Amino acid sequence: MLRFLLARLGQSAVVLFAMSFATYVLLGLMPGDPIDLMFAADPDITSDDIARLKALHGLDQPLIDRYLAWLANALAGEFGYSRLLNEPVFEVLAPRLANSLLLMAVSLAIAIAIAVPAGIHAALRPGSWSDQAINLCCFAGVSIPPFWFALLLILLFAVVLGLLPAGGMGHEGDGVLERLRYMVLPVLTLSAAAVAGYTRHVRSAMIEVMREEYIRTARAKGVAERHVVRRHALRNALIPVVTIAALDVGGLFSGALITETMFGWLGMGKTIYDAVMGNDYNLALVGLLLATLVTLLANILADIAYAWLDPRITYRRGAHG
Amino acid sequence: MTGTGQAWRRLRAYPSAVASLVLLAGLGLLVAAAPLLEAMLALDAARVDLFNRLAPPGPVHWLGTDELGRDLLLRLLHGGRVSLLVGLSAALCTAVIGAVLGLVSGFVGGRVDDLIMRCADALISLPLLPLLIVLAAVDPAKLGLPESVGNSANFSLYRIIAIIAIVGWPGVARLVRGTTLSLREREFVQVARALGLGPARIMFRHILPNAASPLLVATTLAVGNVILFESVLSFLGLGIHPPVPSWGNMLNGAQELMHQAPLLAVWPGLLIFVTVIGFNLLGDGLQAALDPRAAARSP
Amino acid sequence: MTGCLPGRLRPVVAAGLIAIACLLPARADARDQLAIGVTQFPSTLNPLIDAMLAKSYILAMAHRPVSMFDHDWNVTCRMCTELATFENGRAVATDAVDADGTPTGRRGVISRVTLRDDVFWGDGVPVTTRDVVFTWEVGRHPDTGVPDRQSFLDITRIEVHDEKTFSVVSSKLDYLYQASFGLLLPAHLEEAAFAEPANYRHRTLYQTDPTNPGLYNGPYRITAVSPGASVVLERNAHWKGQSPAFDRIELRTIEKTAALEAHLLSGAIDYIPGEMGLTLDQALSFEQRHGDRFDVVYKPGLIYEHIDLMLDNPILADLRVRRALLHAIDREAVNARLFEGKQPVAHTMVNPLDWIHTDDVRTYPHDPDRARALLDAAGWTTIRNGIRHDANGTRLALEFMTTAGNRVRELVQQVLQSYWREVGVEVTIRNEPARVLFGQTISNRAFSALAMFAWLSAPESLPRTTLHSNSIPAAGNNWSGQNYTGFRNADMDRLIDEIELELDRTRRAGLWKRVQQIYAEQLPVLPLYFRSDAYIIPRWLKGIRPTGHLAPTTNWIEEWRVE
Repeated sequence: MLRFLLARLGQSAVVLFAMSFATYVLLGLMPGDPIDLMFAADPDITSDDIARLKALHGLDQPLIDRYLAWLANALAGEFGYSRLLNEPVFEVLAPRLANSLLLMAVSLAIAIAIAVPAGIHAALRPGSWSDQAINLCCFAGVSIPPFWFALLLILLFAVVLGLLPAGGMGHEGDGVLERLRYMVLPVLTLSAAAVAGYTRHVRSAMIEVMREEYIRTARAKGVAERHVVRRHALRNALIPVVTIAALDVGGLFSGALITETMFGWLGMGKTIYDAVMGNDYNLALVGLLLATLVTLLANILADIAYAWLDPRITYRRGAHG
Repeated sequence: MTGTGQAWRRLRAYPSAVASLVLLAGLGLLVAAAPLLEAMLALDAARVDLFNRLAPPGPVHWLGTDELGRDLLLRLLHGGRVSLLVGLSAALCTAVIGAVLGLVSGFVGGRVDDLIMRCADALISLPLLPLLIVLAAVDPAKLGLPESVGNSANFSLYRIIAIIAIVGWPGVARLVRGTTLSLREREFVQVARALGLGPARIMFRHILPNAASPLLVATTLAVGNVILFESVLSFLGLGIHPPVPSWGNMLNGAQELMHQAPLLAVWPGLLIFVTVIGFNLLGDGLQAALDPRAAARSP
Repeated sequence: MTGCLPGRLRPVVAAGLIAIACLLPARADARDQLAIGVTQFPSTLNPLIDAMLAKSYILAMAHRPVSMFDHDWNVTCRMCTELATFENGRAVATDAVDADGTPTGRRGVISRVTLRDDVFWGDGVPVTTRDVVFTWEVGRHPDTGVPDRQSFLDITRIEVHDEKTFSVVSSKLDYLYQASFGLLLPAHLEEAAFAEPANYRHRTLYQTDPTNPGLYNGPYRITAVSPGASVVLERNAHWKGQSPAFDRIELRTIEKTAALEAHLLSGAIDYIPGEMGLTLDQALSFEQRHGDRFDVVYKPGLIYEHIDLMLDNPILADLRVRRALLHAIDREAVNARLFEGKQPVAHTMVNPLDWIHTDDVRTYPHDPDRARALLDAAGWTTIRNGIRHDANGTRLALEFMTTAGNRVRELVQQVLQSYWREVGVEVTIRNEPARVLFGQTISNRAFSALAMFAWLSAPESLPRTTLHSNSIPAAGNNWSGQNYTGFRNADMDRLIDEIELELDRTRRAGLWKRVQQIYAEQLPVLPLYFRSDAYIIPRWLKGIRPTGHLAPTTNWIEEWRVE
């Protein structure tokens, strides 16, 4: 297990390095460099001034040298500043990662709380009217464009009914209840797709499990159906679900990006988007790497959880989770 | 693979899939017929009419007009052409890249297999949308593309197809690799080998046809996903740029007019929704029809 | 997703909805507080770094310049006792010398300024000449990256007479000599951060300790900053001027205008300023729907929407084509239909509110026949498929660029495209996000024909960087200058040089008139209109007076009143 973990961590580190390089180069391919932007509105700046400032900030070096310099600094814990906010990137990102994780955790919890009973309900009555309805809803959930769903929610709850704020996160001096109001719509948006995905997984895992030998044995022994479901089937059906939830953190980040942008929720996704749109290279780069790191860690966590929940699995080589 | 006729007979057992197929075919026809409809109604989707902005639905403009007085229905159909075109072509590209990599990975095995699958794992585990945004924001001129390509009106179209294909292949590749692995040791492949056929010939002539059904299912499901991604990127201002309409960028304009003309924000999204759910249901039905084992699991 | 739920969960959902209902807004309208919603968040609060509207809007409540343009577009003192003019003897013309003392051959000016006795930083330290000298040093330092460094470099020396009085020795005597100094930095706090000039933008206390009261000298000071979301201001205890009405002002950044409007209607914010709020068409629609609760005030300003023409393009090098393009479009109709007449059509770059404006210029009313005749005369006579071609078979095709994502511009662009199609000009639209368009395409003159954007300017601002032939960006000058069209006109160059040194208002007015006439004759740029800002003001809030120029209304926040 320990060897497996180390190997996974090693792989993740390789992915992270590859990502940092690829992203650095890609961002270098974006238009407009920071010094040009700093003076875009200044008519009197001379070319000498610009050249000197570029040299001062190392922007006259070839891309590869700049990357190596960045990497050396990054490994020393020095990640530089955000152009849009003039603050060290980690000071910008830390609270925003927390905001994202809050949004994602609440949505995930709600999604699981709905998906598990819905999936079981459907699995126990395959082909029934309610199963079909749940199935259709799930298809709807994964097919609805999340930003459109958010637009509709804003339209209904903020514009037409005026019940909930159309965006933002609350402000200075607001109580917990007031802040919760700001969370309702983003959480609804983010959990919609997740509910649909998880329900389908729970359902198919449950159907699979209910066909297993030990369930039949339990039934044959006259164990009450309720008990069979709760005691035997559910536990085994949850294993793939937990794994998928952890594996899906990358997808959740994608969903969070849309949700955060739509609702002005100051999280990682919105920060990365704004940074890309505002040519804040450094913030975009470090933000993307941080999001990747969180995703990779979640994947490793998924493997551990899988091993822990399912004693049949032992890790040797070649297991991909 | 059993004949198409049998597959069709099985597919008919799934009313939702058949309904989707009919719906998608209808939508496809309607979208393809947009210029015809334009001529019939004597309207021009690109014609600006400042005296008729945000008009309600009526006999001339069936769904009303947008903020520049253009016919909304026609713009939706033109947008649909773009969205469907991007969806189909990007899904095809994804399928081709994925199929080739999956075949090679499964057939050659060893280090090559390891490398390709590691890349696939890494790609799948990444936060996809933030990555796509970075890719979409790259400047074509700095990529070394000639100005005539980078500046062409359709560039945003090609770009979005390319970046979706770049990140979308791992799913298909895994699938094809699995099939290849199971077929590699089968008799007919052994025979072909013994006959001295080259690996490329064996892969594409003998193995690939046997992977056709999962590939078809995966591609169908991919179309829906691609349309979603296209709409998200266009909505965020990084996909298709106006005045070329796409369902995603029409919604981008509509969100600022939510208080004045809420319906503008409803129609394009509804069409995306219906199309994507159509492809997803169709893919699901195909999977059940082509793979009897999976059929037992799906209603 | 509620439809997905099995029966047993329905009560849970119902309970959830009830819980939501309980969370409904219960904010009382406290009139000693004001919540303002804006669409931008400032990149920094340091007065010298990064010119940005959001920053100057917020800072104007907490920070006052030495002198500035007032509502009547005249320079007035805010922190000084009186302006330095030749008449009162505070300004004296001299022969300019450079930093080493060598004469430059130009005329310079020495202006003696006295700071008021009653201006203090928020920690009680008086504002003194030490702050003036420090600010000048930060501004002129080559490594700080301050925009508008040139204005600091024009000052060769500052003579300090005492705590409050100083003389600015300027190497340039021009017509704007009175507007000598803007915002000051508190030397007693900022000197440490300036020890490393290249990192000053990151080390400045405005960044590391923005709630330090000593950083501000206006009626308010900043007491809380949450990056990207909000800034809170409270009364500055050491402000000796007129007392403002509100104890606390909060600025909330809400980037999406639809959400901004929803917040206003729900009462989460009180006011949306015109400086960075709703677009004009949104404001017009808002007024129709909610005019009973809010006053919507429109003020045309110094934001000049126009289309730069690439004069290197052989098609556009022909003056007849340029004139035809302008005759072909109905700017009055665009203004009437899209903006309900609130954005006056521009004939030159000079706003009618500016005193140098003249009506005595060539104008180009909507006249498609005239446009067609001009195009015929220019040789674009063969019409195939509705598009004009010349004798060589070249299509009359032009590419039209603007900022992608700016909805109003993209609308106008599509309207103009259809006007031009009517006279046989094929215009294709290719837009880029602002970061690309300004960061690269326009600044490197990489647009091939038409580029629509806006200029922001101060009153009576000299078009040296936009119209002088020395200011054409090129690889040779590292793309500096803003004469993106490539306009070369010897008369224009001469007039610009003359205006700069002409101190007599009447004579200057004559020169300005010629500038506008040449501009309208030659049309290096197609003038469209002057943008209007829309202020959405609650009925109970009074005293907001838009200036029409760049100084935000918050510079007079102490005049805002509750009624």
